[in-house]
Amino acid sequence: MNERRCSHTILFVAVVSSFLAGADVEVLRAAEDARAIVAEAQRRTDAKSQRYEGVLQVFDAKGKISDKRWTFERLGSHGQSRVVLRFVAPPEVKGVALLIVNHPDRASDQWMWTPAIERDRRIALQDRSTRFFGTDFSFEDLEERDVNQNDYALLGEESIDGTPGWKIQSTPKQTRSSQYTRSIVWIRTDSYAVARIENYVKDKLVRRLNYSDIQNIQGIWTARQLEMLDLTRGSRTRLTLEKVQYNLPLDDEAFTLQAIRRQ
Amino acid sequence: MKAFLLLLILAPAVAGAQTLSQRGFVEGAGTLFPQEASNDSTRAVVDLRARSELFYKPAPWVQFAAGLDLRANSHDQVEQGWRVAYSDRGVREPRLSVRRLSATLTGGGFTLDAGKQFIRWGKTDIVTPTDRFAPRDFMNVIDNEFLAITAIRGAAQAGDDTFEAVWSPHFTPSRIPLLGERWTVVPPAAAAIPLVDAGGRLPSGSQAGVRWSHVGRAIEYSLSYFDGFNHLPAIQSEFVPTPPEIAITRSYPSIRSYGGDLAAPTPWFTLKAEAAYVTGNDSADDYVLYVLQLERQSGEWVFVGGYAGEVVTRSRTSLVFAPDRGLSRAFVGRASYTLDPNRSVAFEGAARQNGRGLYARAEYSQARGQHWRATIAAVAIGGHADDFLGQYSLNSHAALTLRYSF
Repeated sequence: MNERRCSHTILFVAVVSSFLAGADVEVLRAAEDARAIVAEAQRRTDAKSQRYEGVLQVFDAKGKISDKRWTFERLGSHGQSRVVLRFVAPPEVKGVALLIVNHPDRASDQWMWTPAIERDRRIALQDRSTRFFGTDFSFEDLEERDVNQNDYALLGEESIDGTPGWKIQSTPKQTRSSQYTRSIVWIRTDSYAVARIENYVKDKLVRRLNYSDIQNIQGIWTARQLEMLDLTRGSRTRLTLEKVQYNLPLDDEAFTLQAIRRQ
Repeated sequence: MKAFLLLLILAPAVAGAQTLSQRGFVEGAGTLFPQEASNDSTRAVVDLRARSELFYKPAPWVQFAAGLDLRANSHDQVEQGWRVAYSDRGVREPRLSVRRLSATLTGGGFTLDAGKQFIRWGKTDIVTPTDRFAPRDFMNVIDNEFLAITAIRGAAQAGDDTFEAVWSPHFTPSRIPLLGERWTVVPPAAAAIPLVDAGGRLPSGSQAGVRWSHVGRAIEYSLSYFDGFNHLPAIQSEFVPTPPEIAITRSYPSIRSYGGDLAAPTPWFTLKAEAAYVTGNDSADDYVLYVLQLERQSGEWVFVGGYAGEVVTRSRTSLVFAPDRGLSRAFVGRASYTLDPNRSVAFEGAARQNGRGLYARAEYSQARGQHWRATIAAVAIGGHADDFLGQYSLNSHAALTLRYSF
């Protein structure tokens, strides 16, 4: 009896083990597939540089609106890039600039230049979860994330706005600090363009970023409108990209701390 | 100069070009003091100010900047004439002054700024001991602003290091409060004897300084050296018997300053520290001024707080106007909260460690549309007459500021 029970147990363990081993393979394959999808999406947006003029509209829970405009310039891409973002409106924030130095293996470095006090200030890592200049984007949301900074899992296929897409879970690796515990990313199957990102803190959905008006600009599928919803506050910020250009010649020296001090 | 003025006035209309940008504002501010000062019975002061700044970048390697300020004041704090002041070294604020006028050249990691410009050193906010090229307008001691200086500044950036050198041929002092007004505190017993400005002995020599900064992954730090003059004056007073009056003379001792600053983010807050050892000539103290400051943003809150300390290693002067040292041996803090994209509140305070001086300010600010902002503030000051903060205990006030930015 004991021998039979033992053999049954061994059989059960063997069956379960083989099932789990198969499941592990599936999980690994799904992770590899998910990573490959994200890597392909990243490859398709590679550009030596980018420039656009952004229109920001902030709606609070009561529907009040505040408008801001910035110019965005990026040299390099995906974890090897530097970004200068400079406000041009409203007049009272004109000249305020943010320098972002993205790294492939860790969180970005960020500095803000405030012309009213003629000082630059480094945005500390622990402050990156705060809202950027009254918008619903946090400082971390402005980072450009490299594919290697996260682990991925393919959760399945799901349509977004009537277009088929992959649903992928992205979890920050331990080496990369993030305010988000995980993110769910929808990538369109037809163009590999990101259509939506939902960001979670523990199990709570805190921010949702919707990409729309996706157009092919110089061979790169580009969302001309991004809308970030802060689900905790009930507010949202719409960013509309105008005059988008890729691979234009930008001066390396325009992406330094010395440079953002120039108005 | 006429062409310069015309360009600044027309700037908003032509600033649409990509290489030309402009900003400015028109501002009206009213301040109410509930109490009369012993030497100043005026309890309501109105300020009007307009500013226009223009930045022109004809090529990626060169930029020109120009700015003009226009002022009016109900309490005789502004000069009466309409000359355009470039140096801005008068006792009163000029009616019309050049705020900045400079050219910037860049190339190969080098930046050269020449002309009237703002130069800020240091990392802390509550007091900045190494910020030696940054005189201020202290007409209102609590609510002051920076003055530009004439200088050549060169900066070379190599990787994570920046080396900066500054040479200023022309000294710009901080502006101190008018002698007959409430921010110059006169003991009640002496209020009957008028104070007379006998002028300032402005140094004619040049100033220079160098600074090396390093931006590391976990820490930023700088070392600096300054050889020049204190932009805050030492005060000499002389009693003149007939007619009885006290003649006040300002002098600006030569000093050298050896300083350092750092900023280190930790998982809980950003630590900032700054210190300078200042050694002067025979009419100036030798002292160390230092600041430890913590910063944190959390949700809609921004907190900045810390301690400013001073160690006098050799005392030589009896009377100075030195708000930086006046805020030392004190705990200083500021907290601001963003209510929504258009509204914010802020609270700040300073308390001397011996309890003899206290300062507190509460502020509510609201923007309307793209151009308008109103700010209402209440300031309470208390303490003893022998304390830098406490001496202004009769100057608690409320202020309303309305600004139109363009």
